[in-house]
Amino acid sequence: MRTCTDIAGAVPERTPRSRRRADGWARATGVRSAIRGLRLLVAVLTGITPAFAHEIRPGYLELREEPANRYQVLWKVPTAAAALGEELAESLGQTSRPITEAALANRREPCGCPSLWARPRSPLTVSIHPVFPPEVRPLAPPVVRHETDAELWTWPVQAPGDGLAGAEITVHGLQASTMDVLVRIVFRDGQVATRLLTPTAPVLVVEATRRTGAGGYLRLGVAHILLGVDHLLFVLGLLLIVPDRWMLLKTVTAFTLAHSLTLAVATLGYAAAPLEPLNAAIALSILFLGPEVVRFRRGETSFTLRHPWVVAFAFGLLHGFGFASGLSTLGLPAGEIPLALLLFNLGVEAGQVGFVLLVLALGTSFRVLEVRWPRMVQALPGFAVGSLGAFWFVQRTALMVMGWSR
Amino acid sequence: MNSRGGAHRTRQRPAPVRFVVSVLATLAFPVLARAHLVNSGLGPFYDGVTHLALSPDELLGIVGLALLAGLGGAAFGRMALFTLPLAWLAGGLLGMTGRITVNLPTATGLALIVIGTLVALDRQVPFAIRPVIVGGFGLVEGLQNGAVAATGALPAGGLLGIAATAFVLVALVAAGAVAIGKQPPWTRIVARVAGSWIAAIGLLMTGWALR
Amino acid sequence: MAVCFAPFAAHAHVEGDMAGGLVAGLWHPVSGLDHVLAMVAVGLWGAQLGKPAVWSLPVAFPLVMAIGAFLGLVGMGLPGVEIGIAASALVLGAMVLTEARPPLWLATTIVGAFAIFHGHAHGTELPEDASGLLYSIGFVTATGCLHGCGIALGLVHRWPAGRVLLRVAGGLVALGGCYFLRGALV
Repeated sequence: MRTCTDIAGAVPERTPRSRRRADGWARATGVRSAIRGLRLLVAVLTGITPAFAHEIRPGYLELREEPANRYQVLWKVPTAAAALGEELAESLGQTSRPITEAALANRREPCGCPSLWARPRSPLTVSIHPVFPPEVRPLAPPVVRHETDAELWTWPVQAPGDGLAGAEITVHGLQASTMDVLVRIVFRDGQVATRLLTPTAPVLVVEATRRTGAGGYLRLGVAHILLGVDHLLFVLGLLLIVPDRWMLLKTVTAFTLAHSLTLAVATLGYAAAPLEPLNAAIALSILFLGPEVVRFRRGETSFTLRHPWVVAFAFGLLHGFGFASGLSTLGLPAGEIPLALLLFNLGVEAGQVGFVLLVLALGTSFRVLEVRWPRMVQALPGFAVGSLGAFWFVQRTALMVMGWSR
Repeated sequence: MNSRGGAHRTRQRPAPVRFVVSVLATLAFPVLARAHLVNSGLGPFYDGVTHLALSPDELLGIVGLALLAGLGGAAFGRMALFTLPLAWLAGGLLGMTGRITVNLPTATGLALIVIGTLVALDRQVPFAIRPVIVGGFGLVEGLQNGAVAATGALPAGGLLGIAATAFVLVALVAAGAVAIGKQPPWTRIVARVAGSWIAAIGLLMTGWALR
Repeated sequence: MAVCFAPFAAHAHVEGDMAGGLVAGLWHPVSGLDHVLAMVAVGLWGAQLGKPAVWSLPVAFPLVMAIGAFLGLVGMGLPGVEIGIAASALVLGAMVLTEARPPLWLATTIVGAFAIFHGHAHGTELPEDASGLLYSIGFVTATGCLHGCGIALGLVHRWPAGRVLLRVAGGLVALGGCYFLRGALV
């Protein structure tokens, strides 16, 4: 197995964190213990729902050829899980201690490579990192920058004289994860190679002739909707409150139009939504549908039940920002965005249409087979929509509040 | 003169056929590359879905059972709809303990023969035998999946994905068969031909395993 | 069709085998002209015979053929396979040529007997290294499709000119059978 000493050769620089200052504020106002309790609660809540904790935002690896054969590497990995893991460790009284270089040199990643990280990482963290062949030498230690939802690593590497062609780039730890990593190589002549690495295919061999791997964006879109249980649950909620086919078509079209609109607006950079309040709002949109489903089943009526497409459009705008998070964390360069946006959106729609058709076909099948569900089971989809929406809303709001308290 | 030697034939393939064959092989390849691990990249549930989608023998068995149940009427269809996934899941959990193992190529082959023949004959299946066939098939396949899960090649959550896919598949196919059953009798022939193909495939599989 | 089968191809464990097994299975029934003629003739005859036969033949044929293949696979010998296959084209062609209308049981027995010969030939000549499951699927599918082709062609039976055409086709199949029979005997 190839080791990754090439980028772990030196200790990464630490960025100043605002945490220490925030801690002082918390102690002064006397809310520290409350926040600790909240953190613990959230950590536990998140811990017991590992199925929903799948990281669906992809990682991003960019190699940009600056002078010939020298590449600037950008490695961007989402850190929601990392931050949370630290909360858990801290609330349990295990504050992070300063680490000596010697201790750092001894720590190992799960794959056996020397650890790249300057601070202790919790077990909840997705530990993935790129590995280059030995002939691609690092020229400087990585510089690490922390963003709210991602960690950015940058360092320059020197490719051998005959270029990068034939080089094998691997992402260690990907196989054990449910994440995808988009790899993008920008050559000096302006050519661009894009490939999506997946848990099944974590290795990339740089080709002499380059093509843009457009299929990768499509796959990202499909994966995003298939793993986005919250989006699917919202669509299910809509399906449960439409009275007929025509209204169904209108509602689903309205939802699609709305989320495509905001997905485009957000990806093109005209608007942005902060991730944490957005996630809470999406959860709220699902929670909102729960009572409507119950109302629909009781034969009552409401504005939503008379005009489900209006609600679908309004909340669709929110969900579009959510979809955009699957693309925007990549930090795509401007030239690539229109194609990526189109394909990603098509992927999302393909997944959504598949889901809607499956639900409808199942409904028809149950009717043909004359399945008579007990009352409890009949109410189940509505309750699932409502209670999961409520659960996620509490969970995500708590996460958001914790974020503020830092 | 034996004009049917395999290698002899291969050389004789005319150009258009060779083209079709190569197109087929090319199309098959992206999928082949992923078949080594039962890993969809989308977590355990989808791993199970993928596992089933890549197991034609298990799929044929489910489709055959659903056809049999659907042709037998809505009641039989309902029974299969719930019995098969539950039996599958139970078999999977049993199989994970490693206490019971099944020699699958023959077991699935024999199951396909029985199921396919019953569909091809298109006779009412006695009430007492129905749950035995449906539950038996689910148990046998589940045991095998469970054994795979025990080796770690398939995550335990994958069993849920498999059972859920089986549920969906039975619902769709059985409903289709019930609808066919209400049409003029000659449309049933479609289902019967499918049954005969399934039984034939089962026979060949069994022969292959025994040779 | 290719798209439909691509997922199946992924099942087996050695890559070369996978596509190979399916393709080999699809290929084998259509690879010998004697096979193809006999299969199509069954379809044509079924179409001529009309309702009960055209229903029961496609159901019974793959099963009986698989029984023959099973015998071949487990190594049970069947004398005169090549002769039987050649004779099948001759006899079935002759049936179509003369528009023979034996009782259903007799027609089914004739077709079934020949089906065993055909299946046995396929069963003994399987490639050693292919994936059994995929080979079986390809094999049964190709046989069924050949059959379907025969029945579809036989639909011209509705028109008077079509009837003549069918009989001519039957004659050609019978001629082909003669040629293969000569090859098998000499």
